[in-house]
Amino acid sequence: MIDIRKTFKTTATYYLIRLFRSQVQDFFTNLGEVSIMSVLTIINLFKGKIKWKEVIYQCYRFGVTSLPITLSIVGMTSVIVATQVASEMVKQGGENFVGMMITMLIIREAGIIMSGFAIISMIGSSLASEVATMRVTEQIDAISVLKVDPIRYLFVPRVLSGMLMMPLIWVLSSLIGVLAGSFASNLASGLSYRAYFDSVWYGIRIYDINVNLLKAVVYGFTIALICCTFGYNAKGGAKGVGIATTKAVVWSFVALVILDMIFAVSFFF
Amino acid sequence: MIKVNNLVKKFDKKTVLDDLSFEVADGETLAVVGFSGSGKSTVLKIICNLLTQDSGTVYTSEGDVAMVFQYSALFDSLNVFDNIAFALTERPDIKKKYSKSELCEIVSQKLKLVGLSGIEDKYPSELSGGMQKRVSFARAIVTEPKTILYDEPTAGLDPISSTLIEDYIVRLKEETHASSIVVTHQMSTITRTADRVLMIYKGKKVFEGTPEEMLNYGNEYTKQFVTASLHGPMQMLAE
Ligand SMILES: Nc1ncnc2c1ncn2[C@@H]1O[C@H](COP(=O)(O)OP(=O)(O)OP(=O)(O)O)[C@@H](O)[C@H]1O
Ligand SMILES: [Mg+2]
Repeated sequence: MIDIRKTFKTTATYYLIRLFRSQVQDFFTNLGEVSIMSVLTIINLFKGKIKWKEVIYQCYRFGVTSLPITLSIVGMTSVIVATQVASEMVKQGGENFVGMMITMLIIREAGIIMSGFAIISMIGSSLASEVATMRVTEQIDAISVLKVDPIRYLFVPRVLSGMLMMPLIWVLSSLIGVLAGSFASNLASGLSYRAYFDSVWYGIRIYDINVNLLKAVVYGFTIALICCTFGYNAKGGAKGVGIATTKAVVWSFVALVILDMIFAVSFFF
Repeated sequence: MIKVNNLVKKFDKKTVLDDLSFEVADGETLAVVGFSGSGKSTVLKIICNLLTQDSGTVYTSEGDVAMVFQYSALFDSLNVFDNIAFALTERPDIKKKYSKSELCEIVSQKLKLVGLSGIEDKYPSELSGGMQKRVSFARAIVTEPKTILYDEPTAGLDPISSTLIEDYIVRLKEETHASSIVVTHQMSTITRTADRVLMIYKGKKVFEGTPEEMLNYGNEYTKQFVTASLHGPMQMLAE
């Protein structure tokens, strides 16, 4: 007689159900870990002394070493948009709106999200693999045994540097984006710099700037926190570091898009 | 004083420590021996609160618990000086502000104790494995702890450095009256440092006694261990 249960256990359906179940479990475990760590980090941000020397070093790493990449990515995004849109707008008689449109796009959305993506791939991955390596080589255990709180020692300076540097990165990359847009519009459609920059001012709104400074702080916090958390919870050797880094990057990307959606709906709807 | 009562630890379903009990008096050194994978590091990690037991209790007397890790676990982004001074500069409960010159003095004194000097500016990756081990030793004892756990302090060291470390374990015990546990596979470390020996097999205590008793074939387990025999009650491959 055929044992139906046993047979079922060999089928692809059974395998898929199990895979799905473990993925869902994993997802909620990770979500829980990130939430706990964010609470602990926030508590530690407010209580206890902050080591400014370490914060400054982390700021340098987060904000300065990443600048070439963030600036060129946002600049090129702007060039891509400008070359495609400017000529069309000029043809339709909208040359007075090109600068405004590109500025609004960069300030409201493209500047922050593209910088965020660049920061995740460059700084986030390095934070995650650094902390994960410290975990698998027992350096984090050593910190605890020496009675220093790893959250305070590792998370606080890294997360704080993200919160401080992300707004700066956003401001600089937006400037570059607007400038790059002017060159591109000029080259692509012969739009004069004068006409471009005259309309730039209409694209700058205090409200947008405030909202995006807030967004930048939140994104900086989120990226640093997620990447440190996955590093912190890494298991196993070199393979564990790899898994932690991949997860950290994927989660940061998804978190950024979700946050961006929430911001768009709640502030610009 | 370290008191361990009926300790049980499971990883997933695998029982790694099975009802383990022992005591270490003040100023006493206990050597813990056993096969690779028998749960020695796990005991130490439970005592210093890195792991939590599934049941059983652990008591240590007041004061710091120090641990010398099996693979050194030096902070690789910090140089030797900052590694050793770490507890003094980073611990929030140490209120005393050490001046740079005080720190330099303490660090160079600790380095001298482990037979190294003038390497304060080097990074861990620039040191040999044995040197890393000795630096991690210096880092662990910088706050003069009352309970010291050594996870294979002499593994991978040449005989002369081993002797240096063994002498220092003994001296430290005499000076600070600390209770120590030394996990080791090395006969010289057992005979030179330990007052008593505890042998673990599959998470259970299979022998407890003095080093002399162990060497004089305390029981079937120690006999097999001392003679390094493949035949005996302990089976390496059996899981
Ligand atoms: N974090 C962990 N997760 C799952 N299993 C673990 C973990 N840590 C240890 N183990 C298992 O527990 C057992 C005991 O490990 P432990 O490190 O205590 O051994 P050990 O006696 O120190 O060995 P060695 O002499 O090789 O250092 C091993 O079988 C190991 O596979
Ligand atoms: Mg071990």
